[in-house]
Formats: sequence, C-alpha cells, structure tokens
Amino acid sequence: MLEECLGVISFEDIGNEFGVLCRNKPVYMLPFAGRYRLVDFTLSNMINHGLHTIAVFTGSKIRSILNHLGDGKPWDLNRKTRGLSIFPPLFDDVKRRSCDIYQYHTTEEFFVGSKAKYVFIANPNILSKVNLTEVFEYFLDTGADITVVYKKQNNGKDEYINADTLIIDDSGRFVNIGINLGSKPVFNLFMHMILIKKEVFLEIIRAGMETGENIYFKQAVANYKNMYNINSYEFKGHVEYIRGIKSYYNANMNLLNKEIFNELFLEGGTVLTRSEDEPSTFYDTKSRVRNSLIANGCIIEGRVENSILFREVKIGKDAEVKNSILMQGAVIKENAVLINTILEKYVTVEEGINIIGIEGNPYTV
Amino acid sequence: MIKSNNVVAMLLAGGQGSRLKLLTQEIAKPAVCFGGKYRIIDFTLSNATNSGIGNIGILTQYKPFELNAHIGIGECWDFDRITGGLRILPPFMRGTKGDWYTGTANAIYQNIEYIDSLDAKYVLVLSADHIYKMDYRKLLKYHMEKDADVTIATIEVPWREAYKFGILNVDSDNKIVEFDEKPKNPRNNMASMGIYIFNWDILKYYLKKDDKNRRSEHDFGKNVLPMMLNEGNKMYAWVFKGYWKDVGTIRSYWEANMDLLDKNSGLNLYDKDWRIYTRTKHLPPQYIGKNSVVRDSLINEGCTIEGEVNNSVVFSGATVEEGAVVNGSIIFSNAVIKKGTVLNKAIVLENTIVQPNKRICKEYEDDICLIEQGSVSIEQEEALYA
Repeated sequence: MLEECLGVISFEDIGNEFGVLCRNKPVYMLPFAGRYRLVDFTLSNMINHGLHTIAVFTGSKIRSILNHLGDGKPWDLNRKTRGLSIFPPLFDDVKRRSCDIYQYHTTEEFFVGSKAKYVFIANPNILSKVNLTEVFEYFLDTGADITVVYKKQNNGKDEYINADTLIIDDSGRFVNIGINLGSKPVFNLFMHMILIKKEVFLEIIRAGMETGENIYFKQAVANYKNMYNINSYEFKGHVEYIRGIKSYYNANMNLLNKEIFNELFLEGGTVLTRSEDEPSTFYDTKSRVRNSLIANGCIIEGRVENSILFREVKIGKDAEVKNSILMQGAVIKENAVLINTILEKYVTVEEGINIIGIEGNPYTV
Repeated sequence: MIKSNNVVAMLLAGGQGSRLKLLTQEIAKPAVCFGGKYRIIDFTLSNATNSGIGNIGILTQYKPFELNAHIGIGECWDFDRITGGLRILPPFMRGTKGDWYTGTANAIYQNIEYIDSLDAKYVLVLSADHIYKMDYRKLLKYHMEKDADVTIATIEVPWREAYKFGILNVDSDNKIVEFDEKPKNPRNNMASMGIYIFNWDILKYYLKKDDKNRRSEHDFGKNVLPMMLNEGNKMYAWVFKGYWKDVGTIRSYWEANMDLLDKNSGLNLYDKDWRIYTRTKHLPPQYIGKNSVVRDSLINEGCTIEGEVNNSVVFSGATVEEGAVVNGSIIFSNAVIKKGTVLNKAIVLENTIVQPNKRICKEYEDDICLIEQGSVSIEQEEALYA
C-alpha cells in the first residue's frame, strides 16, 4: 500500500547552532552512531516500510549530500522506475525563497507526474523508528486528509525549548502548531512527519503560493485546518531531535543504552548507509575499551570509555579517550588525553596533548 | 598496461575443499568466511580488481548457491561493467549432453568459446583457495619481458615444507627446467602458487590436445604444464614476495586467521591502496560492554562483547556474553557465546549458540575444535558433546 505513497525528505535550516560541524554541510548530513549520517535513518525507515519513490530536498549546502546519496544504490533506490530524486534549490532561490512551500511549488511536476496518491513528508533531523505502515493504516482507517505524527514528551522544561509542539483536541484532531517555551514539562513534540493525500498536498501548495500567506508547509496546514480532516498519530518509541551540539552529543551517547540502541538499529528494519569496505577493528594487547560503540576499520592501542568511535579511528598507546565522539579517521597519538570532546573527521591529536571539555557541554575540534 | 580485453582472468572456484570438513559442508570452499568479514574468494577478487583486470570468469561447480549470492554481478568488486566485467561460468549442456568440470584444465577447456569471444591475448588462471595480496600486473609485465609462453607465480617456502608443494626447478634466468610435484628430496624451494599466465593461442592448443588424451586427469599441475614443458615451450617462474597462505585444512585456516592478529605477518588489511572488498551486511557498529576485555583481536560490525576476548577473530553480529572467555578462537556470524563459557582454540560456526558455563577444548590444548549447533568435533576424531 505504501507503494502508493511518495516519500519527501525536507528540513528547516537550523545549521547555525552547530558551529564548525556544519560549516560545509547541512545538519542532516552530520555523522551519527559511528558510521551513519542522520538522513540515513529517515531514508532507511521509508525504504523498510515500502516507499520506493523518494524525493530529497537538499537545501543549499549540497556537496556532501550529493556525494552521499549518489544514485541511491545503498538504499536500493537505483531503480529504472521510481527510485530517488534529488532536488537542490535553483541557483536564484538562495537569494529568494528557500522555504519548503516554494521548493514544492517549483517541483510540482514531480508530484503531479507521479501515480502515487499520497505524500509522506519527514524531517531528517529527527531520528526515530516510527512504524510508517501503522501510521498509513491509521490514516486510511480514519479517513483523514492529513495525519501528523507527534510524541508526548515529559522533559519540555529542560530540553526541546523552541521545538514545535503539536496542539490537538481531546479526540486527537489537529488544532495548531506552536512553539515549546518550556512552561510545562509535558508537551506534544511535533515530529515533522506529515502523511497527506496528494491532491490535498497540491491544493495547499497552490493556495499557499497564490495568497502569499505561508512560506512553510506546516503553517499552511494550520491555516487551512478547517478545510480538511486533520488528525494525529501518537508515536511511543524513542525520538532524537538533533537541534544543536548538545542534543547531537546526547543522541550519540544515548546509543550506549542497550534499549535505545536495539530500538534504533535492530527493530523495525536495517538502517542502510554507504559502505566503505573497512576491515574489522583491531584491539591491541594493551587496549582497554569499556562501554563504547566502535565502528569498523579502527586500530585501538589505548583506553576508550563511554565513547563513540567512527570508522578508521586510531588510538595510540597509553592514550585515553573518555565521553567523546571521534569522527572518521581521527588519530589520537600516544599519551594524548581526550575527554568530553567531539573530534571532527581526520583530526589528529598529537602526542601528549590533552583536550578536555566540560561535562555536558562538549568541546568541538 | 592491462587493457580490459587483453587479459582474461579465469578464477577456479568449483572445488569442495573437503579437508575443511564442516566449514564446507554446505558451501564451496571459496565461500568460506575468513578474517572477520570476508570470504576466501574476496582476496582473489580484490586482487583482480585492484590489478585493473577488466574481464573475469568464475568457474563454479560445488554447492554454488551462497557463492553465487555473494558474488552477484560483482558490483562489490567494481566488476559491474558496461564492457567486460564478471561472469559466473558453471558447467553447461552442449546439444544433448554436457559434462561436469573434471579438472582444472578441463574447466578452462569447456569455456574456450567464452575466452575466444573476448578476443583474449593472455589468460590469467587463478584459484580461490589462498589468502594473499598480489598485483597481477607485475606478473604480466614479467611474462611480457621474458617473451614467455607461460609464467607461473612462485613463492619461496621453507625447505622443510617444500615436500608438500609443487616445486619448480629453474635455471639461472628462472626459466623452468623441471616440475617436481611434492618431491621427497626437493632440490629447490620455489613452490607453484597455482597462478599462471598463458598466451591464449598456445594454451588453447594444449587444452585441446590434453582433452584428447584419455589418460589425462585434465589438471594444470599434473598434465597440461608438464606436457607444455616437454614440448619445449618457454616457461618462466616469477617470484612473489609477500604473505601467502593456502587455507586448505582446518589448521592452516585457523593459522591464517590468527596471522591477521600479528602486525608482522605481512598481510595488512588496513592498506587503503589495496583494499579487500566484500559484500556488506549493513550492520551497526560493535558494542563493547562495561566490564569487557578485548585484546589482540579483530571484532566486526554488529557484535556485542560483554565478556573477555583474547587472540580471536569475531565475525559480524556475534555475541560474547558477560563472564564468557574466548581465547584463540574464530567466532562466525551471529554465534552467541553464553555466560560463563570458556572457549579455547575453537571455531564456532554461524548462528551457533554455545550453552552457558561450558569449558570447551581445554583438554585438547593443541587441537582445534569445531563447534556447530548441538555438537563439537575435535579436529579429526569426532567427539560428540551431550
């Protein structure tokens, strides 16, 4: 059934909170969990639930995503019919409008030309294993025009400040989308997932463009809520919303929790990404690794604790790494110490150097 | 230097490898897993692609399902090409009858039309039984420089082991003067690696001649190469320097895996300029637990290690539970070593669940035990555990 649905990956650009990590890439291309990019989760979840036509709206920093997606082969999207479509902004858009309604409007042919009857939109900065088959069944059973997905959170006071919150009535009908300012601990996190009938999608895009009232699709949904049957689906699993360095760091560290790890990786389908053919990781005689997630291709001679190591990381003798995230190809030489730190790709920490960040507020190199 | 239609590689992958016992019960020897994430054939296929070989035929026969699934259209080794690329060549029917491949030479003989259709000038014959890294371009260059009809890749083996190999006796220019198959009193220690390069027109002539000889076993080492030498062809030995291991027996298979844990073995898997490629399984990173100890070991993606692992090779998705100790062992994909079990020098087959609190192989310190679901066999004598 989900074959009749187009998958759309689209995001709101919030890149500035990531400093050096996102200088050249969008947030959804941040490396995650030792060998993935954030976007792999949304993409793989769509594939695993049978969506075969997927459009990626890239935003303006397109180099890394083009390289990563290629022809879509790692996700089985290199098909003669359907498969992957990549929509970078037009050159002029950068100066004009990069908001999603405008992007959908300029690619209307893609939607009109497809035989699919439904459109599923998701934000790749939000990681989860939402059972899309179930969402789709709910959408059909309830006869909705639009179904939006949310998660009830109880830590709204500390985290998720400025995140979108979904306001619904007692029957779960859509009321509005607001912003969580942290006044209440319990709130409904809008997961930026929208399942919608294609004709309704097109109507909203056209109305949004014609009236000039809306620049974001979610605003348009709220504005036209009385014209359509909009309901909501509550997701009860684990969600990671990557909104800044802190949430990025925490999301990685959460993977050391077995339940979260199992939910994100082992249940509800495989997460797919581009393979780099590394050999297995080698642990030397004096290595001491505890409670860590290690990708392939690493050579470990020193000590590693509570950390995430991406592919091809080298830890020298008597070096110590703790509470840190080391991206691909990072090299920690002998006797160096690294604590509470995020190390960018291919960074080398020379012999005997100490880099120590503050707990809960990692230092980024 | 290698033009894609100039050299055609033929990879002999039809053997059973019966001395590998349980490991080849269900699959062909080239498909046996090796080194944490590979299969034996990956080394030869990766050598071929890294050497710029554009055409490779894979001769399959014995239980080919897993092997075929692994190879596919060869895209993992970049062999999915518009021109050339990889072809799987099983035995086939001609008219009303067909034959199995009855020997290494016969396998090539039956595919003469395939090689002809590619307009080959040279044919490189490879086998999928060895762990090594070799640039076949060097062999070809030597072959061309010597203006040879046949060039055989050789490796110097220790004198005391020379009796196990096909030994080549050569003159001062490395021109082959005699074949000495498994000699009792070797006069040389240059062993044939089972890698040959032939001028195709000459090989074709001798394959046809050999096929007419009813007493021939249609084997390169036993029949075709000696016949070519007797008839005065220019045959040279090229000396390979580097790591090379035949993994034909359980012991040599185990040793070759252990060699990967030795930095000085000469086989470096981490060399980016000569990557060994394989089909990927899309697994998440490995998790090393709070109280685990991992030393001198290779651990692959998807593993969960909560116990202790020493001097071992652990394949994808395997689990070593808390309190379990694995020493000098090879753990295949998705095997589970339960709490408190101690393994010494074991090979645990795929998907096997080893029960908790067992001590396996302690009493056979020198032997290697093969563990599959429900049973343990100690090297040669079979011993069943309840």
